Amino acid sequence: MRVLDLHQISQEKAVEEAVESLATGNLVIFPTETTYGAGVDALNQHAVDTLLAYKTRREGKPLSIAVADARMASQYVEVNDSAHRIYQRFLPGPVTVISRSLGKVAPGVESEFGTLGIRIPDYPLILEIVNRLGRPITATSANASGGKRPYSISDLLSQLSEKQKKLIGLVLDAGQLPPNPPSTVIDTTLSTPVVFRQGKLELVQNQVQTKLHSGDEAETKGIAQRLALKYWSAIKDTGLVIGLNGSLGMGKTIFVKGVAEFLQIPEVITSPTYSYVQEYAFTRHGISGKLIHSDVWKVDSTAEATRLELASFFKPGHLVIIEWASNIREYLEETLAEHQLPYIQVGFSAISHQLAQRQLLIQEPEASAG
Amino acid sequence: MITPPLILAIDTSCDDTSAAVVWGQVVLSNVVASQTQLHKQYGGVFPTVAKQAHRENIEPVIQLALSRAEVTTAELSAIAVTQGPGLAPALEVGIEHAKNLASQLSIPLIPVNHIEGHVLSVLAVPKKVGASKEQLRQQAVEVNRKIEELELPVLSIIVSGGHTEFVLVKKPGEYQRLGFTVDDAAGEALDKVGRMLDLGYPAGPVIEQFAKLGDATMYSFPLPMTTSGNANLSFSGMKTAARNLLETERLKKELSAQQVYDFCASFQKAVFKAITYKLSKILLITPCFGVWLGGGVAANMALRATLRQTIKPHQLKLQVPYTKKMCADNAAMIGVVASFKFQRGEEVSKFQTIERIPRWELD
Repeated sequence: MRVLDLHQISQEKAVEEAVESLATGNLVIFPTETTYGAGVDALNQHAVDTLLAYKTRREGKPLSIAVADARMASQYVEVNDSAHRIYQRFLPGPVTVISRSLGKVAPGVESEFGTLGIRIPDYPLILEIVNRLGRPITATSANASGGKRPYSISDLLSQLSEKQKKLIGLVLDAGQLPPNPPSTVIDTTLSTPVVFRQGKLELVQNQVQTKLHSGDEAETKGIAQRLALKYWSAIKDTGLVIGLNGSLGMGKTIFVKGVAEFLQIPEVITSPTYSYVQEYAFTRHGISGKLIHSDVWKVDSTAEATRLELASFFKPGHLVIIEWASNIREYLEETLAEHQLPYIQVGFSAISHQLAQRQLLIQEPEASAG
Repeated sequence: MITPPLILAIDTSCDDTSAAVVWGQVVLSNVVASQTQLHKQYGGVFPTVAKQAHRENIEPVIQLALSRAEVTTAELSAIAVTQGPGLAPALEVGIEHAKNLASQLSIPLIPVNHIEGHVLSVLAVPKKVGASKEQLRQQAVEVNRKIEELELPVLSIIVSGGHTEFVLVKKPGEYQRLGFTVDDAAGEALDKVGRMLDLGYPAGPVIEQFAKLGDATMYSFPLPMTTSGNANLSFSGMKTAARNLLETERLKKELSAQQVYDFCASFQKAVFKAITYKLSKILLITPCFGVWLGGGVAANMALRATLRQTIKPHQLKLQVPYTKKMCADNAAMIGVVASFKFQRGEEVSKFQTIERIPRWELD
């Protein structure tokens, strides 16, 4: 273990030494804007194994990598729109952006779900080292798992075993670092939508469109109730599915509250975003059934949708309302065709976003319209 | 001295498969699947939503919980399982598994309400490190005995992605729901507004970090339900207000990093203000000896600080779960609830009578 005092040598020299050490597979302790980090060449399996041995018990937690810029990041992960905007806004800086890995780093670096954290440290020395090395280095904090985050080299060495110390090739000592918090981790891999673009309702069956304006929440509830009344016999005879689409904060849950009033459900309808599905029993005019309120905002694949078993609710007496239904369009196309249930889509959009006014675009089966 | 029961607890109420072993209120192990290396690749990013995922996880998770606790199934006094609220197909997996296990071992099965788990999560105690089994038993006896010294009632506040409620705890097993959200949960509002700010998912923890860098007076949000005359909460209007505000700002110019920090600080403050506003109203008319906090958002330090400030004039102390893991969904808290039920003799010996209760309110 060699220790270089960064106050005693030029940055040029420090970069040169660090690059050489990393290129030969060594573990290098380096300063960042958050804490001391432990870096190895993220493409070198042997070096990564050394790092994993150094960090001890990881419990499957992924390591992140430091890259020089967004261009370099895009060689190792899929940078989606969301990640791209975060790079522009927050990097370089104390933010780790998680994306789907392209599988180019050594095994053990990316998470078991195939995701990888990207750091662009706001620390010119490190950016220069990575640039010169031409490949990413791991950017985990230098403490062993469970240990305190080190802000000085003496802090660090005091918590390491002899065995761990032996694994270190080079230490870049910048003295006492300010006690900054660790980087904030932003996971961009789950594509929960923010907006639903109006006019993009897919025509599942032969559907006709109606545009309605709603001035406030009470009117939205009224529209929902008239729709439920119109399809009351369908609910009884075959069951009915209503898909709701609209940006966050558009009043989709208000619509469901309106339907619940129509069905004379006494309970308060609360958001099912986290439970995915909530069931409410109803009895109206002596007919008993169930309102199934689902929210698939967090569901972004047919495989996930299948596991929710929504189609098991498609039966007579059931009204199934699905928020963010366009997220699971393929699943719905398949299962609706199979179960032969009428399907209504409602798209919500703002007319003037300062007011509670909404435009509701309703698509319903041709035969029932008018 | 009564030795409290040694319980294997299972929770499959939503995204995570969890199993834990508790000795009374002492947590011997607490395994949550997403935090371990048990997963296989599901193709999706998160191994959730899911009967299938729970089915694959449950046995390895239970085995890991037992081995970490250094307990064999022969030593167990009972099996506890979350019966609701939660996602029905997910709950079924845990319940079926628990039924079979209890039946095989011929020990009682104890159904538990997940919310009650969050309420009593503050009573969970970590096991003494390096203690022998006999020392752990003594610890369990001692911790269990101290429950009698609890000054009750206390007010429990549950704040998570799926729930936001005020629950009066008269004693373990006897609750009164004083108020709850009528639309979105607080954690959900934070996640969704964070998502509007492009902070990924889940965004709640990112908001907490960024709020520290921001000025909470930069943006203002309406305080909801001030005239409702009850202790209920609503976050959906704040979410819409945030959306409108962001659209107005973005029409001018794309948000800078500092504006995002300010927005996080302002919105988080508004969400917590809505909670403390109702909390103050409750404390004025509801005598209690303390305030407990549970649920995923209970890990948020800013929330804890705000709550402490609010209850200080009432000479009340805030009690929080002993680790962040105990705030999130986990099976140990289910075991803690079961330890009380067991001692009250509330167990189910007819295994067939347990069915899932997807929406189960505490009261």
